[in-house]
Amino acid sequence: MKNTTMLILIVIVIVSVGAFVFVNGTAKENFNEAIAENNDNSNIQKINLGIKDYNYYPNTIKVKEGIPVRISLDKSVTGCLRSFTIRDFGVAKVLRTPEDYVEFIPDKKGTFTFACSMGMGRGKIIVE
Amino acid sequence: MSFKLFVKELNGNRVEGELIRTIFYSLVVSFGLLALLYFFKLRYIENFMPKYGLLIFLSALSYAILLPSIRQVRAYKEFACMSGMMIGMTVGMISGFLVGFYVGATNGMFYGSIFGMLVGITFGVYNGLCCGIMGFMEGITAGFMGGIMGAMSSVMMINDHLKAASVVIFVVSSIILISLNYMIYKETKESERQVKEDYILTIFASLILTSITSWMIIFGPRGGIFV
Repeated sequence: MKNTTMLILIVIVIVSVGAFVFVNGTAKENFNEAIAENNDNSNIQKINLGIKDYNYYPNTIKVKEGIPVRISLDKSVTGCLRSFTIRDFGVAKVLRTPEDYVEFIPDKKGTFTFACSMGMGRGKIIVE
Repeated sequence: MSFKLFVKELNGNRVEGELIRTIFYSLVVSFGLLALLYFFKLRYIENFMPKYGLLIFLSALSYAILLPSIRQVRAYKEFACMSGMMIGMTVGMISGFLVGFYVGATNGMFYGSIFGMLVGITFGVYNGLCCGIMGFMEGITAGFMGGIMGAMSSVMMINDHLKAASVVIFVVSSIILISLNYMIYKETKESERQVKEDYILTIFASLILTSITSWMIIFGPRGGIFV
């Protein structure tokens, strides 16, 4: 077989297998949402985050404006994801144990990003 | 000017004329193996294609683009120190980076780095030896760095366009490896070919590397957030 023919065959093989991978490989958007709880009458909205599919779970949190929010990470969260930040509210803290938490008052409405300090794990916090 | 000659030589009788054939055989063997595995086992794994499909596809392509360099280096056997170091560094770095990147994306930084280093150092040393100890050192250093860097990059991009990044990284690596093929051609166009061989090494290497990498990506040990 001539090399030119072989080159055409290579392109065909790569395009066909690539198309098969592309068509079958589209993942559904992994969107999960939680509303902050306030079940001990302490006037604090509490959220406990874990890990699912290599990211914070839940990765979308709804909170109310003006009421303090307390976020903790359960023991499934490891590595740099324990270094928790919300840039828009000046939050940056390493939560070494599940008992550690960050607390802040969401003083503006909108959608903000929370992430680990390296930006590997990310999610949204919606202030209503 | 000599690049035109190189392109012409891809259809010629020298080892450069066997590079496209090497890619073809490697792809056929790797994709054949993966197709068999997919129809008998892998398609029953939940979310197999979205999770692992692209990474395994790109790893098979990466091996197909790496193996021609090995064939080209083996054909001429000995190189000047400068060329040998460049060969050891390029092959070690690119192989370590690519494999580290793919495995790191599914298994975490530790296992990605270790596997990437293993492949990078093996490729780097094997190719770098064409100029003796300097190439050997360059190969081992580049493989070590590439493995760690690849795994680190993929872990850091895990929630940030990882799939697009894998494609971009593969394309850039391919350009680098084709440039290496051209460099070797330029360095050896006056030399006689030392070793003539069939495609057994290509077929065997493709089978082993694709199966080990796929096993590692799908069933291999995982660390940190990847458990």
